[in-house]
Amino acid sequence: MSALECIDAGFQVGTKALLSGMTARLLPGRVYAILGPNGAGKSTLLSLLSGQRRPTHGEVRLDGLPLERHAPAALALRRAVMPQESSVAFDFNALEIVTLGRLPHRTAPEADEAGIVDSAMALTDVAALAPRILNTLSGGEKARVHLARAMAQLWHPRPGGDTRWLLLDEPTAALDVAHQHATMALVRQKAAQGVGVVAVLHDLNLALRYADEVIVLGQGRAMVQGPTAKVLSPALVSEVWRTPCELVAGRDGAPQYLFGGLQPSAT
Amino acid sequence: MSATAASIGMTRRLAPRTVLGAGATLLLLAFVLGASSGAYAISTAQLWGVLRDAWQGVVEPSPEHLVFMNIRLPRLMLGIAAGCGLGMAGAVMQGLFRNPLADPGLIGISSGAALAAGVTIVLGAWLWPVLPRTLGSWTLVSMAFGGGFLVTLLIYVLSRSESGTRMALMLLAGIAINALAGAGLGLLSVMATDEQLRSLQFWLLGSLGGARWSAVALVGVVVLLACAASLTLAAPLNAIALGESQAALLGVDVERTKRRAIVVTAFAVGAVTATTGIIGFIGLIAPHWVRMIAGPDHRIVLPASGLLGAALVLAADTVARTILAPAELPLGVLTAFIGVPMFLLMLRHYRHRI
Amino acid sequence: MSMHLRRRDTLRGLAAAAGLAALPAAFAQQGSKPPPRLITISGAITEVAYALGAQDQVVATDTTSLYPAAALKTPKVGYMRQLSAEGLLSMKPDAVIATTESGPPVVLDQLRSAGVKLELIEADHTWGEVQRKVQAVGRAAAREAQAQQLQRQLDAQWADVQMRVADDMAGRRRPRVLFVLSHSASPQVSGEKTAAHAVIGFAGGVNCLSGFQGYRPMTAEAMASAAPDVILTSNQSIEAHGGVERFWQRPELALTPAFAKRSLVTQDALLLLGFGPRLPQAVDELHRRLLAAA
Repeated sequence: MSALECIDAGFQVGTKALLSGMTARLLPGRVYAILGPNGAGKSTLLSLLSGQRRPTHGEVRLDGLPLERHAPAALALRRAVMPQESSVAFDFNALEIVTLGRLPHRTAPEADEAGIVDSAMALTDVAALAPRILNTLSGGEKARVHLARAMAQLWHPRPGGDTRWLLLDEPTAALDVAHQHATMALVRQKAAQGVGVVAVLHDLNLALRYADEVIVLGQGRAMVQGPTAKVLSPALVSEVWRTPCELVAGRDGAPQYLFGGLQPSAT
Repeated sequence: MSATAASIGMTRRLAPRTVLGAGATLLLLAFVLGASSGAYAISTAQLWGVLRDAWQGVVEPSPEHLVFMNIRLPRLMLGIAAGCGLGMAGAVMQGLFRNPLADPGLIGISSGAALAAGVTIVLGAWLWPVLPRTLGSWTLVSMAFGGGFLVTLLIYVLSRSESGTRMALMLLAGIAINALAGAGLGLLSVMATDEQLRSLQFWLLGSLGGARWSAVALVGVVVLLACAASLTLAAPLNAIALGESQAALLGVDVERTKRRAIVVTAFAVGAVTATTGIIGFIGLIAPHWVRMIAGPDHRIVLPASGLLGAALVLAADTVARTILAPAELPLGVLTAFIGVPMFLLMLRHYRHRI
Repeated sequence: MSMHLRRRDTLRGLAAAAGLAALPAAFAQQGSKPPPRLITISGAITEVAYALGAQDQVVATDTTSLYPAAALKTPKVGYMRQLSAEGLLSMKPDAVIATTESGPPVVLDQLRSAGVKLELIEADHTWGEVQRKVQAVGRAAAREAQAQQLQRQLDAQWADVQMRVADDMAGRRRPRVLFVLSHSASPQVSGEKTAAHAVIGFAGGVNCLSGFQGYRPMTAEAMASAAPDVILTSNQSIEAHGGVERFWQRPELALTPAFAKRSLVTQDALLLLGFGPRLPQAVDELHRRLLAAA
C-alpha cells in the first residue's frame, strides 16, 4: 500500500527543536488536515512531508523509500506543493505561472498541454486573470493561481500507477468564504480521484467539514492523528487552542465549533 | 501598453518569433551601418567590391580592402561577440539573482579582470619578466581572463553553505571583493608611472580597437559555446523566479543550475572583458528592453538579449569611432552615457518592486 | 673665453658650409614623386618635422603635439597610447613616426600590414634620443639632407651648452633640484630614469631624489630629507595649482630649503621634457635660471 509516512521525525534549528517525535502514516485518496495554533510547527511538518526540508532526526518515507532517495525530477511528477506565500520575480502573468506547473513534464509532454493549463485555471476560477501580472493580483487571487499551478502539475494519473500527492500550506488563508469552500471541495474531488491531500489549515470548521483525518500539533504536547470528529473533541480543542468553544451540529448534520463566549463549566 | 492596461497589470507580449526576428533585423541593420561607417572613407561601391573580392579570393588587395578586412570587419565581429556575450550573461545573472537590476559585475568578473590587467600593466615587468616572451601580445588578455575567473571562483566559494550556494551571500561577497579589487587598483595607480596609468585608464574605459582575427576567433568560440549552454538554463531560470525552494519542488536541480549559470557567465564575460576592457550596461539594458516587449520567459529573453546586446554594441561602437574621427572615443564611456540614464529610468519603473 | 668663441664660430661655419652643400641633393630628391605624407606622434617628433620644413607633409598629429602653434590646427588622431588604426589610415599616411610608448600594439601591427612605414624611437632620455628623432623624421619625410643639416646645427648647439654648463659648474656645488609634476590631483616627484632627471643633470644640477625610478607621490617627510635647493616644475603644473602662491602653500614643500628662498624654476612641460629640437635651448635656459635661483 502506497503511503507517505514520517517515522519519529524531528526538525531542529540550532538548539531549538521546532518539531520532534512526529510519527504519522498518510494514505492516498484521503484528505488530511494539519491543525494547531500559531508556532506549533504546522508548516514545518508540511515541509518535511514535501521534502523541502530534511528531518534532523528520524525519516520521512514515500512508498517505503526515504524522500531524499527519490530522484527530485521523479518526485516532481507526482508531488505538488502549494506554498503559503511566494514572491515571484519579474512580471510573469498568471498563465505563465500556472504553465510552470507543467515544467516537470517537459521531457514527456501530453498531447494538450495548453488545455491542461486552461482547465486547471478554470477549476480555481482564475481563467479571467490569465494575462494579469501575478505581482499585481490580490492575495487571494495569487493563492488561487498557485493552486491552479499545483493542480496542473498533477493533472493526469501517473502511467506507472505511482500515487499522486497534493500538499497545501494554508490554501484558504487569503481566500474569501466562497473560495474557501470551493477550494476544499476541489481537493475532496481530487482525493476521490486517488490523490493524497495534506493541507495545513487554521480553520477547524473547514477541517471538520472536508478532512477525513486530522493531525493536531500543540505546544509541548505530543501530536495526535486520527479521524477528524473523533480527534477534535471539545476537550482537546479547548486545551490546544485555549479558547472557549461549543460544538454544534449544522442543519446538514456536520459538526462545527462556535468560538468565544463564556468558559465551559467544569464538568 | 496603455496606462489603463498598465494600471490593472495587463501584459501584452509579442510572439517569440516576432521578437527574435526583430532582434536579428536590428543586428543586421547595425552591422550594415557599422560596415559602411568609419574614419576611413569607403564608398558603397568600394564596399561591394571588397566583399566580392573577398568572396572570390582575389589576391590583389586595395587599401580599402585592407582597411575593411583587417581593421573594420574584425572589429564588427568582435562587437557582435562581445554584445552577444554581455547581453546573454546579463539576462542569466538577472534570472539567477531574481532581480532585474543584477549584472555580471556582481560576481566579480569585471573587477577581477581589471585588477589582473592593472597588475600586469604596472607590476608585470617586475613580477613576471618571463611572461611577455611566453605569451607575447596575449599577455594582458590571458592575465585579465585568469583574474576574472579567479575572483569569480573566490566569490562562489565564499557563498557556499551547507544548504548550497546562497545568493544573498554571493551578493555580499561580491560587494566586498569588488571593493577590495577597487582598492587594489587604487594602490596600483599610486605605484604606476604616468604611462602605465594612462594605459590602465584606457583599458578600464573599454574599447574594440584591439580587434584582430585571432582575438575574434577566440572570443567568438567562447561566446558561442556559452550561449549554447545558456539555452539549457532557460527553463530552470523560469522556475527559479518562483523561488529556489519552489523550483526544487518542480524538479529543478537548483545547485547545478547556479553553477552552470556562473560558469557560463564567467567564461562569456571573462573572454569579452579580457579582450575589450570593461564595457558596461549592455548586460543591464538589453534584457530589460527584451522583457518589456517579450515578457520575462527566459527561453526568449536569453537569446533575444544576446541579439539586442550585439546590436547595441555595434551601434555604440560605430558612434565611438566616427564622432571624433580620426580619434576615437572609448566604448565604455559611450555605453555609460547611454546606460546610466537608462538605469535611472529602470529604477523608476521598478521602484515599487524594490 | 676667446677659445670658446673661436670654437663656436668654427662649428657654425662648418654647419653653414655643410648645409649649402646639401641643398642640391635636396632638390634632386624632390622632382620625381609627391613628398611622403606623415603622421607624427608625440610633441617632440612633431617639432622635428616642423624644424625640417616638412610641415606641409604632416597630415595629422596626436594630442601631445602642442608646438609650434600651427601643430594645434592639424587633425588629431587621439592620445598616443590609444591610437585608432582606421583613424590613422584614413589620413592616408606614407609613414608614421612615434615613440616606443605608443600603442596599442595591435594598431601598430595593423599599420605595418597596411604598408605604412612605421618609425619607432625609444625614449632613453639621452641626446641620442633627439638625434634618432631627427634622423627618423628625415628618413620618413624623404628630407635626409635637411635632417643632416639640422642634426649638425643641433649637435653644435648641444656641444655649446654642455661646455658652458661644465665651465660654469667647475668648482661649484651642484644645486639640489627636485622636479614636481602636477597635472592631476596629487603631485608626483621624479626619481631616476625620467626625462626630468636627465635634464636636471644636463643643466648642471643634481636630482636630490634617488634610489627609485619613475614618479612617486610627494610626501612631506621625503621632501624634507631630500632638502632641495630649487624646485623645478612645469608651467602647466603651476596653472593646475592656481598660481605660484598657491603652489608654495603645499605643506610638503614647507620644510625644504627651497621654500625659505622661494627658489622656483618653471618651464613649459613640452619644452622641458619633450627631448625635441629645443632641448639645447631648454637646458641652456634651465642652467642659467638654476644658477640664479640657487
